[in-house]
Amino acid sequence: MSAPDRQQRIAALRDTIADIEKKPALAEAFAQPVVESSGFPVLAGGLSQEIFTDERRHAGAVLGFALGQARSLVTQRRPAVIYLQLSKDGQEMGLPYGPGLVSFGFNPDALVLVRPANMAELLWAAEEALACKAVAAVVADIAEHHKILDFTASRRLNLRASSTGCSIYLLRYGTRREASAAQLRWRLTPTRSARKRFDPLAPGAPRWRAQLEKGTLLKQQTEWLLGWTQNGFTTLDAAHRLAPQAPLSGAVPAQLGHRLPQTA
Amino acid sequence: MLFLPSWATDCLKRRDHELKGPLALYERIKGGLRLAALDAEAARMGLRVGQNLADARAMLPGLTVREIDRPLLEAIFADFADWHSNASPLVAVMQDVTAFGDLVLDITGVAHLFGGERPMLRLLLSRLRDLGYTVAGAIAPTIGAAWAVSHFARSQVVEADALEAILDALPVNALRLSDSQSSGLIHMGLRSIGQIRGRDRKALQARFGVSLLERLDQAYGLLEERMTPRLPLAERYAERRFADPIGLMDDVLMCAQDLAVQLGLRLETEGLGGQTFHLFLYRVDHKVMALSVNSARLTRDPHHIAKLFSNRSERLEGEYDPGFGIDMIRLAVSSIGVLDAAQMGAFNTEDGIEDLDQLQDRMSSRLGTLAVLRTQFVASHIPERAVRLVPALVHEPAAPPPVAELTRPLRLLPVPEPIAINAEVPDGLPASMIWRRVAYRLLKASGPERLGAEWWRTGQRLQLVPPPVPKKPEPGEKPEPPPHIPDLALFDPEAMTRDYYMAEDGEGRRFWIYRQGLEGETRWYLHGFFA
Repeated sequence: MSAPDRQQRIAALRDTIADIEKKPALAEAFAQPVVESSGFPVLAGGLSQEIFTDERRHAGAVLGFALGQARSLVTQRRPAVIYLQLSKDGQEMGLPYGPGLVSFGFNPDALVLVRPANMAELLWAAEEALACKAVAAVVADIAEHHKILDFTASRRLNLRASSTGCSIYLLRYGTRREASAAQLRWRLTPTRSARKRFDPLAPGAPRWRAQLEKGTLLKQQTEWLLGWTQNGFTTLDAAHRLAPQAPLSGAVPAQLGHRLPQTA
Repeated sequence: MLFLPSWATDCLKRRDHELKGPLALYERIKGGLRLAALDAEAARMGLRVGQNLADARAMLPGLTVREIDRPLLEAIFADFADWHSNASPLVAVMQDVTAFGDLVLDITGVAHLFGGERPMLRLLLSRLRDLGYTVAGAIAPTIGAAWAVSHFARSQVVEADALEAILDALPVNALRLSDSQSSGLIHMGLRSIGQIRGRDRKALQARFGVSLLERLDQAYGLLEERMTPRLPLAERYAERRFADPIGLMDDVLMCAQDLAVQLGLRLETEGLGGQTFHLFLYRVDHKVMALSVNSARLTRDPHHIAKLFSNRSERLEGEYDPGFGIDMIRLAVSSIGVLDAAQMGAFNTEDGIEDLDQLQDRMSSRLGTLAVLRTQFVASHIPERAVRLVPALVHEPAAPPPVAELTRPLRLLPVPEPIAINAEVPDGLPASMIWRRVAYRLLKASGPERLGAEWWRTGQRLQLVPPPVPKKPEPGEKPEPPPHIPDLALFDPEAMTRDYYMAEDGEGRRFWIYRQGLEGETRWYLHGFFA
């Protein structure tokens, strides 16, 4: 049995079990992504993704990866991308910079910066933004671990995102993984940039190594080496692959009321 | 015009019932303790404002004295003034003579609500007298005349045709003159206003300055005098009075929603919409709390308005204090513009701009306007000046965005952080870096991109604090030496020239770093991160 076939069977079985248990199927099941010729899937709106990176000094790389994905979601009808960051993190992490967005290929007029004072307000703002019909994506830059951002909070964001079709990217830092309801979890590391034409000493276009830690895309492929052009992501072939990284321990399952673990 | 001659002492007596008997407030003026305010009883005993405290105590051994706290009294008086907006929307505090004691109400078109001018004046005075304030009042065609009559005659309504006769008989002090002016006039034998009016204007101006003539003309209505209302002027409002005071924020918000529906209907019939909404909460203890919210575009949607207020109230937390209750709520709208009714069409393409504006309104009302920002480009080549973060509600034209060919980082640090850099050869590409106590080996780098400082500021001195205006020394007093404010260095464009490099370390982190200064002491900073 081929992989997609098997997935369909499993999904059907899950539905049956849900029917038996009188529980509705998960509302946030997402459509299979469209694969472009470049090789990296273009994901439809309404997804919630966590983008983890090991260290805070990779802040530029995760923002680039999130905005690169969000860019394809911006349309006439959904012209805005909301960027959320706690106001105290501005100096440590840096703020998105207009001319830099232009040179990255992102329209700076589309980006609205929201700087709440605490995490509760940030989550409120994220939920309000997700509910808005004119917002294409929400990028939440969360520098630290916060107790308030638990499984319940992420499930709320998840449901809101899947009901309105607006995507949310949670930029997280560190190697600790918490229980969350996000459909996809990435572990992102910047890698040595592409060669610049006529100047081998200079840094070229950015490159990332993205490992999918949770969720499935494209026949169980879990690792991509991505490059960036003005037209979007490109995937690089296996010759560029780097040595495998040490795997991280998985997320701690959330203990819910009925004691059933809900996360992978 | 309402005149409360002993408001300060009355107010203190109301706050503290222990205070009895003749009460005086003193103030420290040039090392001496002088009386600043008196109650009616003390004034009757022959004390006067400006007297030495020791003299006053000698004259009246039973005198109770307190030190005056002017900022507190001014704040309470401002609240007291706001509370009077339940009589007329335009209320101002007259600060010509003292910061408290005189209230101006513009009652144009209001008096009929109280059954005419005379009953209105009687109501305003009697309700203050019931509270224990000493008050006099006058209604007159000009502010100057009302001031004069309320201070120097009995409380009355001055009709326009009787204005001259009444004013002519009043003493010259009634013109709000300075001490030197009024004593000079009395010295010349000019005791009443009528006597001044007949004199040669040029001679008066030469002797007493133009302010005397201004006051004279203002009193007689030849010159317009303006008042600055304390509360924002609202043309349209809806209000509700309560038989029993309410206190809970939820009740207030529910009432605000009701009022928003009423106001929305009124605006709809007139084809108007508003951008700024104010909610005034009138407390029973003479205080007014005001909440204001802004909307990015003209609106009259009651749900949106109510939502903005409920978001705004989340940010109040400890500031909301209903005291003994709120007995009136008023929802006012300002910045009104024409908003035509739009038909919902079947074939309209729905663009999200309106939703986006409403989202930004809601976020700004809860998080504050400075928390919801948008990038605005400025025509400058200095990286941190090339962009300004402005509130997203502000829509104003900006400079065009820079060209995409520039290498600029995706994230910029608001304040550049100092780093240590080593290069293999002097002035070569940076080879290693220490930032936040971590060492990085830089394998690739490109640059420099030289950004010169703004040469047109050469030789200018930045001033952080403007120097205070030197005070004129009083006769017999030594002039104070001006305080020493250390100067910042002259602006030197050479020392501020920057060479920017884009550098990448072995693990693919890309930084934007720069060297400041051309020769001599150069320093390195980290300014941003690339994707």
